[in-house]
Amino acid sequence: MPAMACSEEAAKLENYEFKWGKKRGVGGKKKDIQFYESFTYDGVDYFLYDCVYLHKEGEPEPFIGKLVKIWEQPDHKKKVKVLWFFYPVEILNWLGDDVPLENELFLASGEGVGLANVNSLEVIAGKCNVICTSKDSRNPHPSEEELEMADYIFYRTFDVQQCTILDKIDEKVAGVEVRFIFNRKEDHKSSDIPKLDAVRNEKNGNTVAINEAPQLLSELNSSGELKNITTDYKFRHSVIKEDADAKDSLVKQEPLLGEKLASGTDAQLNQTATTDFKQQHVSDGKTKPRHKYDSDEDEGKAGKKPINQVEDNKKLKSGRDLGALDNRSSKKARLDSSARSSEEPEPNISSLSALDKDRNNNSILKKLRGDSDEDKTKFRLVKDSLGLEKDASKKVKSDEKASKLSNGTLHKAAAAHAPEKDFGSDGPELEVARRPDAPWEERMQTAHEQGTLVLLENLDPAYTSAEVEDIVWHGFREYCTAKVVQRTAISSPHSGQAFVIFKTLEAAEMMIRKLDEGCLMLPNGRPLVGSRGTYPRLLGKQSTFAGHLFIDKVKFQMQREEMKRAVSTSHCSQPNTIEYEMAMEWSLLQARSDSWWKKLYKQHGEELRKHKANLKSK
Amino acid sequence: MGTPEHKEYAAFEEKVRRTVYIDNLSTQVTEVVLKTALGQFGNVTNVQFIPNYTELRNIPQHALVEMETVKQAKSIVLEMTNYPFMMSGMPRPVRGRAAEMEMFGDRPIKPGRKIQCRWVGPQDPDFEVAKNLKRLTRRHAAEASSMLNHQLEDEEKLSKQQAEALKANYKKFEMIESIRLDGTLGRLARQYGFNVKDD
Repeated sequence: MPAMACSEEAAKLENYEFKWGKKRGVGGKKKDIQFYESFTYDGVDYFLYDCVYLHKEGEPEPFIGKLVKIWEQPDHKKKVKVLWFFYPVEILNWLGDDVPLENELFLASGEGVGLANVNSLEVIAGKCNVICTSKDSRNPHPSEEELEMADYIFYRTFDVQQCTILDKIDEKVAGVEVRFIFNRKEDHKSSDIPKLDAVRNEKNGNTVAINEAPQLLSELNSSGELKNITTDYKFRHSVIKEDADAKDSLVKQEPLLGEKLASGTDAQLNQTATTDFKQQHVSDGKTKPRHKYDSDEDEGKAGKKPINQVEDNKKLKSGRDLGALDNRSSKKARLDSSARSSEEPEPNISSLSALDKDRNNNSILKKLRGDSDEDKTKFRLVKDSLGLEKDASKKVKSDEKASKLSNGTLHKAAAAHAPEKDFGSDGPELEVARRPDAPWEERMQTAHEQGTLVLLENLDPAYTSAEVEDIVWHGFREYCTAKVVQRTAISSPHSGQAFVIFKTLEAAEMMIRKLDEGCLMLPNGRPLVGSRGTYPRLLGKQSTFAGHLFIDKVKFQMQREEMKRAVSTSHCSQPNTIEYEMAMEWSLLQARSDSWWKKLYKQHGEELRKHKANLKSK
Repeated sequence: MGTPEHKEYAAFEEKVRRTVYIDNLSTQVTEVVLKTALGQFGNVTNVQFIPNYTELRNIPQHALVEMETVKQAKSIVLEMTNYPFMMSGMPRPVRGRAAEMEMFGDRPIKPGRKIQCRWVGPQDPDFEVAKNLKRLTRRHAAEASSMLNHQLEDEEKLSKQQAEALKANYKKFEMIESIRLDGTLGRLARQYGFNVKDD
């Protein structure tokens, strides 16, 4: 039976494809062209000036463009005019040495081929979140979250006529006023959470308390209406959007969801539960689910329904449902490589699983609050939902390909799919955000000044920096950063050296003292030796180098090109030159010093062996 | 051999074989110089200078040059051993040899290696021996340092000596050049019936 229900649902989804939104005006010679401001396509609301992916057969990467006109022709063909963005690779020849940002796009500008195109509306493959980071005063500056959520950013334009890259954006691009090119002001408003919540609460006129929300969901689940959630899913975004009265994109919604998880949890739960419940009625009564808020009273009823105990199997059910949901959405997303398609299900998963979890454990939400990184929050939630039920995770996995494109972390999370994993023990994931360290030289210098630099000797030369850190941890219970001294031709083969930087002066001094008084024996009879490290303060690079000779007069007279090249280029000496003769003298010296070093280290080795023979324990 | 650690380590071992260690490099040699200089032997994929943290003075630079193939790396070592190779100056040749694992600062941990350490207190019979070993380590480091000093002095000496020799040679060259230029050479040649004209 569930299978049949599913296929039915699928069929419904297939049929439901398109709906016009707000009208804008008419045009054309006979006034027979109807312009629109918005439309809903494949469950996604598109508005004028949204950025979208456009799929073209045979192209691996979708094109990205901005909708600047939307209309329907008399023959009912739906058209959109798209102002293009360029990927850096497309304009590589004109970039020169400029290395664009990883997710940077270039807006087409000027006039000519490649600026904008009229396309069939059907080629739109999803929304793309493009943020303008232009320093232009007319551009509302994006917030940190917005930047983090952005699929792409742009701040430069590419003039298609002159093939130049410009930092400035003109008053009008392709007949579009610049204020539509920049970030929208509404975006800012809508990312303002308290306001949003206020709006929502007002609209609903009814706030479902935090503890009641999960019950709503469990109600749904337990009354056997799981499939409603599935239908619901498709329209949730649109409902949410109307709730919020925000015209921004779906992607925009994500930070909101994340933030709400972190701060205003009740709003989040409320919203999810509300939409779920509303949807139940939608699918019961109406065929067109995109309806207005006629369910305020239903909601109220729902809130009053008796509290059901949630049993484990229900939880599993909802977990499986999650998977189905996800699976469907990925099927529905027509462009697999579109990051949007994978992002879409995430907020849902997170909200649902948050609900699930909430039933069992309120503290998780508390933990979430402490987490500032919304992305991570989301992915962990995904992981959690995977943990709920393996079935679900299997299905989610099918979505992996798309997810990976949007963010590698999710992929990791899905692949790891460790059930019952708690947030606190998500060790490997934390590494993703590991901040880059300052250059070692700099750290060494400051450590030297602060006295936290220690030089360790008599290590096994084969040890790595990480192993040295481990040794310090086991020997002294102190964390440190270590760097082994790389071997050169003249390094001792017996005693490996490493520099260690401690967090505090006390730790460094304690370590040196302990090593001096006691003996920390490493394998093969190596007592560790520690001393205060010094940073070699070199006075710049020497201009002269022992062994590189110049004839003073010639040095300044060297006019002839070949002569210059003869010195500056690398070459093998020819045996009939004075250079060769002198080079031989150098080779002799090098060979001699080599043999000295060899002898010295051989002697060292023998001495060490003699001493080590006295050791009782090996 | 199947674990990722093993694979990483095997890849590293292969990288070491492809890498040439070059020393006696002038402090003026940069990555670009090295790349162009060794580009004639094959594709240079990476250049990494070994930083000098232990010596408190300027010593010749050392670098690790990663080539595309093991063969290329071997041919460089052979070439540099057989012929003096000049880089950014004359006549002190640079020297190439096969790289060793310990030369890489970012080497991976050898899979399966376990390190055990223990504290040896004054009561332990090994305490004195360990103390001696520590002293020995310090002494050896000091000896190596003085050895390096000695070597640098020798190099300096040779450099000066060669500079003198070069100067003397150049003086001779100048003398010959001057008698040619002021016509003395021509007069003498005519006197003795030699033909000194450049043909």
